[in-house]
Amino acid sequence: MKRTSFSIFAAALLLHAAPGLASNTLIPSGVPVAVAKSPLTVTPDREWNKMGARPGRNSETWTIDGDGLNDVTFYGGIETGRTLFREVSKKAKPLPHFSATMLLTDLPTLFADSYSIALDTQLMTIDSVEPTAFLGQKGIRFAFTFSRLNEEVRRKGEAVAAIVDGKLYMITFEAPDVFYFQRDQPAYRAIVTAATIAR
Amino acid sequence: MAIVVAAPLAAKGDPLPTLPPYAGAYQPQGMDERGLWMMVDEDERLLRDSKAVVSDPKLQSYLHDVVCRAVGAPRCDSVRIYVVRNAAFNASMAPNGMLVVQTGLLLRVRNEAELAAVLGHEFAHFELRHSLVGFKQKRSATDVMAWAGVAAAGAYTYGGTGAYNTVRTAQSVQNAAFGSIFAFSREQERQADLLSMAYLKASSYDPRCFADLWGRVMDEADATARGRRQRSTRYDRVAFFATHPATLERATYLRELAIAMDKSGEDGRARLDAAMVAWRPQLLADQIKLNDFEGTDYLLGELAGAQWTADLLFARGELYRSRGNPRDLVSAAGFYRAALEQEPSNADAYRGLGLAQMRSRDPAAADSLRRYLAMKPNAVDSAMISTLIQ
Repeated sequence: MKRTSFSIFAAALLLHAAPGLASNTLIPSGVPVAVAKSPLTVTPDREWNKMGARPGRNSETWTIDGDGLNDVTFYGGIETGRTLFREVSKKAKPLPHFSATMLLTDLPTLFADSYSIALDTQLMTIDSVEPTAFLGQKGIRFAFTFSRLNEEVRRKGEAVAAIVDGKLYMITFEAPDVFYFQRDQPAYRAIVTAATIAR
Repeated sequence: MAIVVAAPLAAKGDPLPTLPPYAGAYQPQGMDERGLWMMVDEDERLLRDSKAVVSDPKLQSYLHDVVCRAVGAPRCDSVRIYVVRNAAFNASMAPNGMLVVQTGLLLRVRNEAELAAVLGHEFAHFELRHSLVGFKQKRSATDVMAWAGVAAAGAYTYGGTGAYNTVRTAQSVQNAAFGSIFAFSREQERQADLLSMAYLKASSYDPRCFADLWGRVMDEADATARGRRQRSTRYDRVAFFATHPATLERATYLRELAIAMDKSGEDGRARLDAAMVAWRPQLLADQIKLNDFEGTDYLLGELAGAQWTADLLFARGELYRSRGNPRDLVSAAGFYRAALEQEPSNADAYRGLGLAQMRSRDPAAADSLRRYLAMKPNAVDSAMISTLIQ
């Protein structure tokens, strides 16, 4: 699982997925690159590192300084009936599913609920919600704050999302409120602004 | 299995123990207990500063009063209470007197007597020093294994959480304070049950409430399992029961004890409702986030009883709207309307109604959302909602 680093999962990664962790790749600045095994294409304005471990089937995570410090995650076309990212414990705490009939205002809720279940925390809030254009469509931009259960770091984040042809496309950014969030927000916004979708 | 501390049993015929003598400011005795306390003291320091702890002096002082009414003063004065934002049903008490109450428990108790019964049960483990017994047993069985386990979990609390909870949070500092590696023996649970019934007998509460709560929480676990198409295990989905061997037999003997006591008492519902009024909307919202449709729907029904209040109707609307099947959206709209009948000033109910209608492609949506915007012009999502109705 991505930086949602549930302790069990992190341990499992260390034990079993070391090659996956090792396969981080450098994303060069200024070159268009297709992300999340999807038609979503972005052109970053600085170098990023693509994490070898994917949060789920149609997603990938980039970071500058390391997992948990500044993470941009691309969700490239989540289909109806799918979760945002891999189930943490399908039996004990299943994640909510995306549906193409959702309104844009349902997306922050879907995101916050998924995080709150996966991270075992009720300390997740959506701070602001506003309309935006994303991938040439009506989209939604929202900001959020959360703390993981097993640490006291306050994390802030931002996301843009749109539903294109019945699939969810979303780019999120999250970083510790101290230092990283403010510093790297412009780089994230540059990625969002230059994002396109091949149709 | 040797039980070092046994509840002093009263004369034959009365199954309830007499209350043990109480000496204030108990200090840990011997190396084992002092070591145990030292570690839990450190957990408590961490928990105190945790963001997950609800900082509400009024609520805390109310809970302290409930403990006092349940187990009597000055017993209750040794307890420090921490309310933790966690939607799961649980409470636990550490050997040093740190009582952790999860908000999921506060949401589920229907009256103060039920709350007092659970807190009394936890207090009984504390008063009987059960964790020390478990600690000593583990240590004498095999020191190396016991200490390895202790180091891994770093948790020494009563009540505690289930196996999956413990694994899940084994490395969690915040949760260390209320995770548990001690599965109490059946005998210890029985002793704690009996002592908590003895507290209830001496208190002003109705002793029958304990079995009522038990039954409802087991039924909720059944509903959750049904909704997830799992075979009901009845207990292991609920953290509190995972370490508490909550057989039907147990619910039954609690009820029998209560009946045998032949004592009526207050349920303190009005006091609980007054104390929780500021928190209930938040706790209901936390519950809905759990993505547990059947369990939550059962819980809301039980909380409502014969009377669906506006806050429960609103919560039910939110629950149905979040599942979002076409039939759910129609039901949700109905619940929001019913909530608005009781509480016409509830702007969020207009929001929910409008969004449910919009997802059902009902043209009345725009009107409902306009009312929401008119009532709450500075809502965080006002710009977004405005674009939806353009």
